[in-house]
Amino acid sequence: MKRLIASACLALLPLAAGAADLASAIGQKLARPAVLRGAFEQSKQVNGFAKPLRSRGVFLVSRDKGVLWDTQKPFASRLRLTRGEIVATQNGAVSFQLSAAKEPTVRMINELMFSLLGGNLQALDNYFAIAGGQDGKAWRLTLTPKQAALGKVMRRIELSGDQYVRAIVIDESNGDSTRIAFSGQSAAPATLSRDEEARFD
Amino acid sequence: MTELGGPSRAHRWLAAAWLALLLVVAGHNGWLWLGGGARLETDILAMLPQNRQDTAAQDATRQLADAGARRVVALLGASGWNDARRAADAYAAAIGASGLPLALRYRIDARESGDWLGFYAGYRAQLLGDDARHRLANTPVPTLAEQAAAALFQPVGMPRQGRWQDDPLNLYGQWLGERASQSKVRVRDDRLSLSNGDQHYALVMLEQQGPAFSVSAQQAMLPALAKARQAALAAAPSARVIEAGIPLFAAAASTQAEREVHTIGAGSLLGILLLTVLAFNGVRPRILVTLSIVAGLGCAVSLTMLLFGKLHLITLVFGASLIGVAENYGNNYYAYRLGRPAGERWAMLRGQRSTMWLAFATTAIGYGLLALAPFPGLRQMAVFSVTGLFSAFATVLCCLPFADRGEMPFNGFSQAVGNWRRAWPRWGRNRFTILFAVCAAVICLAGLVRLQANDDVRALQNAPRQLLEDQRRVGELMQMAGPGQFFLVSGASPEQVLQREEALKARLAPLIAAGKFAGVQAISDWVPSESRQTADRALLQRVVFAPGGVLEQAAGLLGQAMPSPSLPPLRPLTIDAWLAAPVSEPLRAQWLGRFGTGYASVVMLRGLAGPAALPALAAAAPAVAGVRFIDKVGEISGLMRHYRQLMTWVIAASYLLVLAMLWRRFGRRAWRALLPTLLASVLTVALLALFGQPLQLFTILALLLILGMGVDYGVFLLADADPRAFLSVTLAAAGTLLAFGLLALSSTPALAAFGLTMLLGISLCWLLNPLFTPSI
Repeated sequence: MKRLIASACLALLPLAAGAADLASAIGQKLARPAVLRGAFEQSKQVNGFAKPLRSRGVFLVSRDKGVLWDTQKPFASRLRLTRGEIVATQNGAVSFQLSAAKEPTVRMINELMFSLLGGNLQALDNYFAIAGGQDGKAWRLTLTPKQAALGKVMRRIELSGDQYVRAIVIDESNGDSTRIAFSGQSAAPATLSRDEEARFD
Repeated sequence: MTELGGPSRAHRWLAAAWLALLLVVAGHNGWLWLGGGARLETDILAMLPQNRQDTAAQDATRQLADAGARRVVALLGASGWNDARRAADAYAAAIGASGLPLALRYRIDARESGDWLGFYAGYRAQLLGDDARHRLANTPVPTLAEQAAAALFQPVGMPRQGRWQDDPLNLYGQWLGERASQSKVRVRDDRLSLSNGDQHYALVMLEQQGPAFSVSAQQAMLPALAKARQAALAAAPSARVIEAGIPLFAAAASTQAEREVHTIGAGSLLGILLLTVLAFNGVRPRILVTLSIVAGLGCAVSLTMLLFGKLHLITLVFGASLIGVAENYGNNYYAYRLGRPAGERWAMLRGQRSTMWLAFATTAIGYGLLALAPFPGLRQMAVFSVTGLFSAFATVLCCLPFADRGEMPFNGFSQAVGNWRRAWPRWGRNRFTILFAVCAAVICLAGLVRLQANDDVRALQNAPRQLLEDQRRVGELMQMAGPGQFFLVSGASPEQVLQREEALKARLAPLIAAGKFAGVQAISDWVPSESRQTADRALLQRVVFAPGGVLEQAAGLLGQAMPSPSLPPLRPLTIDAWLAAPVSEPLRAQWLGRFGTGYASVVMLRGLAGPAALPALAAAAPAVAGVRFIDKVGEISGLMRHYRQLMTWVIAASYLLVLAMLWRRFGRRAWRALLPTLLASVLTVALLALFGQPLQLFTILALLLILGMGVDYGVFLLADADPRAFLSVTLAAAGTLLAFGLLALSSTPALAAFGLTMLLGISLCWLLNPLFTPSI
């Protein structure tokens, strides 16, 4: 059960980190907008697959509401993370749903996310040993799981960026590796459009 | 050849024979209690009419209860997990250091949770959740393939166990997730934990080792737990400690009972002794009266054991209340001895005999009627009570005069008490009668309007409020399944039991969807029936792994070349393998194993919103063969209601029969011996209602006793205007009040209700009886 939950948290971490800000040691450098939008490009090497899987899309992080993660290519699918729920939809139909009422860990995941968004390294510190360095505007962090149980799922997470997180690399213990690059991040407009608002409700 | 003033030859023989019988009974009792032959039944369900079904229900309930009877759960909560964890570490360490035989379950290492997943991994191709089964059967393969491919690109999803190509739709991950969602307990930092909103809790489970239900072991836990709480608060001052578990209730109950027995028991014993000494100039009469009661109880135990083979605790408790009634005979004898030379005692006894017989018969009739009730429990009570009463009565008549010696002066205290009777106003055409009638009528009307009955067995709980509150809180936080209501599923083989569980769950699904309760906790969730495992594996093979299936199409979408997929061979997950693995620990008690002629299991209910859902649940059971809905709480409450109603009829019938008997002796004056008791009983019920006390079984039991005793008072007073009659009645009433009235102070609701009823009823009987009987 533990592994189940641990991996659920971990799967979220890179997203949260990439979406907004991590570092509080490096936190000064990071912008902390109320709403952040941008594009991502992901390359995932899956164990037993001959070629890497490439995908791209756009994302939005609202400090108050949560996260929207839309994959556009090669398959359109949408993911929404709010305080009490994680919902994935594909072709308008829900393909995956996890609510805090059924899975209490969802709340913990959110707690973690919001502390990430707030640049609170302390929460991350519970789970990871953090190492890193900086060079002018640029910085780089390596997160290594502290507990053996997490280590069984995730070997390492690397984050790098400047005023925004620009890249994440996740090495999973089963040999899968995912690299996400972010681009076109923008803090304006600082409010949600009506459509975006509606997607959170 | 009766010598005047001495016992007749027949009396001597009778006394010798009775004494011999008592010696046999004493021997039998010694063998029963010391030799372990006595079987004391404590399960209240054993009082129900017996049939095979109920035996099964009882066995199931008992097996479930035994599993929980040794366990204590402590939740250490704080607004931050680190505080909660620190508190729990200190708590667990303090328990470990206490040296008590308590098994701790707190830290869960990585290997243990690894074993958990490892156990199921070998069976993964046979395990499908309900949603997954529905999805595989009803979704077009291309849609499933697209979902399988798209999931690879999602940054968040249900965690996946193993490689994508072994389970492209992550059905096994979903199955594990569904199992996990049945409990709110998670492993965090290698500890058991749960979260509720902003509060985080670390869990410590304790299990008592050694013999179950040892009161001293349960009580020994309390100081250790208190120390552990202190340690927890010292480690994290902001932490809250919530503890729950049957041993805590048991320990609290026995501590409370001990305290009450000590204070109430000592108080009443002292009072009764003092009264006897004052009235009869010594303790000898008290000892002899007590011996007559002991003789009565001994005979009652012997006969009940011979007839029924066992003795119910409730019978014993209720039967012990005979002391109050049996007192009357001994007290009456000694009251009449006062001021008479010892030589006259035989003649005196002959003169009193008919009155005492009448007093005995009017009491015995009420208890005798209980035997007509179709409940084994009531029958046992009837046999026990009538035997006990008769034996105490016979002991007084046959043996007491032989042991009685010397002069007994009618001292000042006794004469004063006896003469109080003159102070009573007389019933008749006077101002007092009108005033009294109006007052009584007003009280009766006001009370009877408010009269309510309450048979809810939960009202009998006497645990400290804090303990109840903690228990409720733990149940709520952990969403534990309550043992009060459950489904008993039986079948010829383990496989049939599991299949029936699955059929039952399908029946219950709409009720869960309608929010009647949160869900079930069933073995078949963890070990599907073999037929289901086979069917699920076949479905998975056909839809996902067959040529042209989900895996092949998804690989095509991803542009990946996949080696030809293969499903591991079918290896049924059996109940035996599951039971032997650590993973079954939390649910193991629900598998009842060999049960009657077949096998059985228990399906428990989580998050039952309230009693409103019970009828729907009960209605779901008959739809599936071999399934019974068992509502233990409801059953006991229903039993209490049944007994209460039955007893009410018994009391009504007793009044009529008693009136008939009184008529034979007193003719048209008979009502004078009965009306005061009737009036006292009605007023008691009315007053109880005015105090907001609901009518319950224990009130009614007390009313039957009040009838027995109150009519005795009436008979003694009506038969004789002598102050000795009133002295005997007053002493009997005072003794009863001291013995039972003090129970009103008890914090056990059942005893308090009984005590309060006795207190009011006996006081009123004593007050009202002299109004209707001549005082000169």
